[in-house]
Amino acid sequence: MEGNPVGLIDLSLDVEEGQIFGLVGPNGSGKTTTLKLLLGLVFPTSGSGEIFGYPLGSLSYKERIGFVPEGPYFYDHLNAVELLRFYGSLFGMGGTEMEDRIEYLLKVVGMWDRRERKTGNYSRGMLQRIALAQALINDPDLILMDEPTAGLDPIGAIQIREVIRRLRDEGNTIFICSHLLKEMELLCDSVAILNRGVVCRQGSMEELLAGEDSRYLASFRRLDEDSRQQLQSLAEQIEVKGEQYLATFADQQSAAAAGIAMIEQGAELVEIAAQRLTLEDVFIEAVGGIPE
Amino acid sequence: MKAIWRIAKATFHEALRHRFLNGILIFAILIIGSSWAFTYLQPGAELKMLVDVGLGAIRFFGMLIAIFVGVRLIPDEIEKQTIHTVLAKPVTRGQFLLGKFFGGVATVFTNVALMGIAFGGVYMIKAPEFREILPEKGTMISMEFMGPNIAKAIGLTFMELFVLTGIAVVASVIFSWVLASIFSFFIYFVGQTADFLRELASPEHGADTASTIIFGVLYRILPHFEIFDIRESIMKDNFVPWSLLGNVTAQAMIYIVVVLMLGYLFFNEREM
Repeated sequence: MEGNPVGLIDLSLDVEEGQIFGLVGPNGSGKTTTLKLLLGLVFPTSGSGEIFGYPLGSLSYKERIGFVPEGPYFYDHLNAVELLRFYGSLFGMGGTEMEDRIEYLLKVVGMWDRRERKTGNYSRGMLQRIALAQALINDPDLILMDEPTAGLDPIGAIQIREVIRRLRDEGNTIFICSHLLKEMELLCDSVAILNRGVVCRQGSMEELLAGEDSRYLASFRRLDEDSRQQLQSLAEQIEVKGEQYLATFADQQSAAAAGIAMIEQGAELVEIAAQRLTLEDVFIEAVGGIPE
Repeated sequence: MKAIWRIAKATFHEALRHRFLNGILIFAILIIGSSWAFTYLQPGAELKMLVDVGLGAIRFFGMLIAIFVGVRLIPDEIEKQTIHTVLAKPVTRGQFLLGKFFGGVATVFTNVALMGIAFGGVYMIKAPEFREILPEKGTMISMEFMGPNIAKAIGLTFMELFVLTGIAVVASVIFSWVLASIFSFFIYFVGQTADFLRELASPEHGADTASTIIFGVLYRILPHFEIFDIRESIMKDNFVPWSLLGNVTAQAMIYIVVVLMLGYLFFNEREM
């Protein structure tokens, strides 16, 4: 069944207003199905769901949401302005209100200078920006995004991340589905990990990455034999990487004490920091490890 | 209504850009134009040929355009996933279906109109020649109602293609677009011979009970496309009454409403 799409089972997500929420999971875990359910594109076999108090598929909440699809494709005979006019008109927008909004959005996503080009001639990155702009045409309270930075070059990804953060700072709620764990770690305030249709971990990014038993890491250079032996006795574990000695400590005090001792013996303290898990660590643990 | 209008407009503009569609249109206009060349025939036969080829070409190529446009409208949206961004907006599936249908109908109408103009041009140029023919030089032809009848025939062809586009759109909601094309062609050709189905269903023509039921049901549910064809009346220069046009148009409207309602039931349940 690995890699095959599965259904969703008892899906319950706590998404707080004004935050960036990430739904992560391997391919076929049900992320896109979740988005499609929220948009009323597919239907639950049993149970029900609500957005802003309205049942799934209702037009009432669609007035207040925006959607950024994965690998967007648009009517390629339209240019950016015409395309946004089309989407805006579906909300009953028109006149200068819509024209001003289009200009604002195209400037926000960095496409104002290329607004006259037909979308059929856009690169993947440009389409992604336009996808974001069309999702924001109605100034939505909730923005649903499917892999918003997938396929973008590093600069494009940074720019899209900046726009997403700005939207959050302006009070919008953003719901992102992605399997790009590093991107999600950089972006999200809270995360749910979906595997085979089931949410196996959920919480704020801070909580998830702090782990249950935090460790402290200190790295040193220029250690003589005595210093090395002393560090070995103070640290839980030592790893040598080139000229650097990476020592793991059970708590902050031990790490600080070792740092002072090493400096007094003439060693160079490179860094001392709390050991943070990565979202990848949390994810692998949540989905039961990497299959053999 | 605004959503339907917007979707129809976008559909129309996109459909007009299809190269295949433009190819059919150019080819059709060439065929219609070539009816000019039938000057070696007897004047009566020449006129018959001109009308037959011209109106026949409009019907045939119109049918190709209606089916080609109709079966691709919704599958293309699903395949490219453009439907996701539209249905994520406050647009119902019914509005989307109607918008696509009316966009398709506008495309078919434009193509029929262009072919009609081409045919009208050929007819207008040739018609004076037929009127001036002296009885001793050829067959005397009555052309009292021919011009208006040709306009009525083109109008009826449009109504026929209006129904066919609806069938093609709805078929594409239920089947794949390839199957929908085959289905639409089948319905079109069987619909041309609806009277034959009635004969097959008739016990007086030797039909058994099963044949009576099967062909009887088919006769009642399939569109009777032959009612849109008035070429015979045109040839005989019979006045085609406006009541006939009204009656046929009413039948087409009722049929299309039923077909679209059926399509809506399927489309509303379809997962994207």
